[in-house]
Amino acid sequence: MSKPGLLLLDLGGCEGCSLSIIRVLPQLSRIVEVYSRYTGNLDLKQKYDYAVLTGPICLNSGDHIEMLKKIREQTNTLLAYGSCASVGGIILYARGGQEPRPEHRVYAPLSRIVKIDYAVPGCPPAPQMLITLLNHIKQGRGFFLDLFKAVASIHKLSGFDLMDEVVLPGLCVGCGACVLSCPTQALHVIDNHPDLIPEKCIRCGTCTVRCPRFSQILIRRYLRTSIQQNIMGGSR
Amino acid sequence: MIAYQPIVLDPDKPLGNYIVVYDARTRDQRVRERKKTGGGAVTSFVIYLIEKNIVDAVVVARRKKGLVGEIVVARSAEEILSTVGNRWSVVPYTLKLREILSSSNIRRVVFVGLPCQAQFLKQMKMFPLMESDFSSKIYLIISLFCMGTYAIEGFIDYMKRTYSIKAEDIVDIHVAGDKLVVKHSSGVLEIPISETLYYLQHGCLTCPDYTGVFSDLSAGMSSKPGYTLLIVRNKLVDKLLHEAETHGYLELEEASTESIEYVINKSREKMRKAYEYLSHIL
Repeated sequence: MSKPGLLLLDLGGCEGCSLSIIRVLPQLSRIVEVYSRYTGNLDLKQKYDYAVLTGPICLNSGDHIEMLKKIREQTNTLLAYGSCASVGGIILYARGGQEPRPEHRVYAPLSRIVKIDYAVPGCPPAPQMLITLLNHIKQGRGFFLDLFKAVASIHKLSGFDLMDEVVLPGLCVGCGACVLSCPTQALHVIDNHPDLIPEKCIRCGTCTVRCPRFSQILIRRYLRTSIQQNIMGGSR
Repeated sequence: MIAYQPIVLDPDKPLGNYIVVYDARTRDQRVRERKKTGGGAVTSFVIYLIEKNIVDAVVVARRKKGLVGEIVVARSAEEILSTVGNRWSVVPYTLKLREILSSSNIRRVVFVGLPCQAQFLKQMKMFPLMESDFSSKIYLIISLFCMGTYAIEGFIDYMKRTYSIKAEDIVDIHVAGDKLVVKHSSGVLEIPISETLYYLQHGCLTCPDYTGVFSDLSAGMSSKPGYTLLIVRNKLVDKLLHEAETHGYLELEEASTESIEYVINKSREKMRKAYEYLSHIL
């Protein structure tokens, strides 16, 4: 049986996610047929089983939006990989006119434009993450896959959401997951509970999917809305 | 091989996925002298792992002062023995832990924690979102049964107001049936658990996980007195447990139907409460 085809495409940003993926390219090639700029066979016209997209979508760029829509049509499973692609990340702070990319000002996570199947936050996700993820997608359901599906159904996640949804309503039990997962150390423990230093939060969303409480809430909400949509979808 | 992803939300599988359940107790004299509740099997097991150099360190919580705890990275049997006893609060894993674990002389670590901590440790191990996740160092995750933890400030205040017991005077707290048994410097006090429910942490009320379905080994009080119930979730743990038994650290026997029923009922109860509470906040 031939290996499933996987499209790797970077839409912009800092290239951190691309570098993380390049580091596992040899292992990746063992489980899928990779089509990308790095392997010299990028082809946006053919159909793919998987597409792994990194970087955010610029809403001022019509070409990119059309390209994204076309990739969605041609792909079975679309993965928004990394914080910018999945939940917006630091690039939400782009105002236009800034160095080094002054042309555009409005960036958004990919789920604003097309339906994403799995969204993985992380700035950048560790290299082995992509391999594990693809193996599990092949295998089927599971708690963590549901979690990444749930992330794909929303447009923003950050330390601010963690504070609003878990810490401030008193749902935090003080396990320390968020503090251990923050790449910029924007979260610190005060009196056994986390506190956010707003200036340091890059809106990567890692803390929210790590939080045992928030991840449960995300999955429950996702399951609830998808059940509702299924019922509504039938009558449309 | 791909590790199986746990599904915490499945009411048909209240204990999650497991391969075997044991009733176990320690055969180690050092643990017998110190143990407070249960069979001391987890303590013996991690001491075995440390003494046979299977792991380099055990991350576990210890009571510091009053009811306040701290995280300890234990590297010797003595350090582990100093942590024996129940936990009454969740102790945060902090950046200090990451610093310790990123040192090069620690290669394999066992984590002993609560179900919530098992969940994110499993995520760190299986789906590393950051390179600093020390995922390769997480060797085993041991989760202790948890019915919820107290918001300790409120609980301490309640003890002081209602029973005039200060936090410093509390020697030990454990659960016996539906009573909370508080040993303090001038006696023993039994309070119905229902009376203290207001002082549980709200986050714990939304948690459906009693045994820690994300762990490699779940452990907690068995319905058989003097024993620890061990829920083994993978073959590696089963192998290690049998080795520990051969080396005389602990004794294992397959759990009776009653013991399993007992923990299933507890899990279902927690799950039911959690979903009821979650539906209010979603």
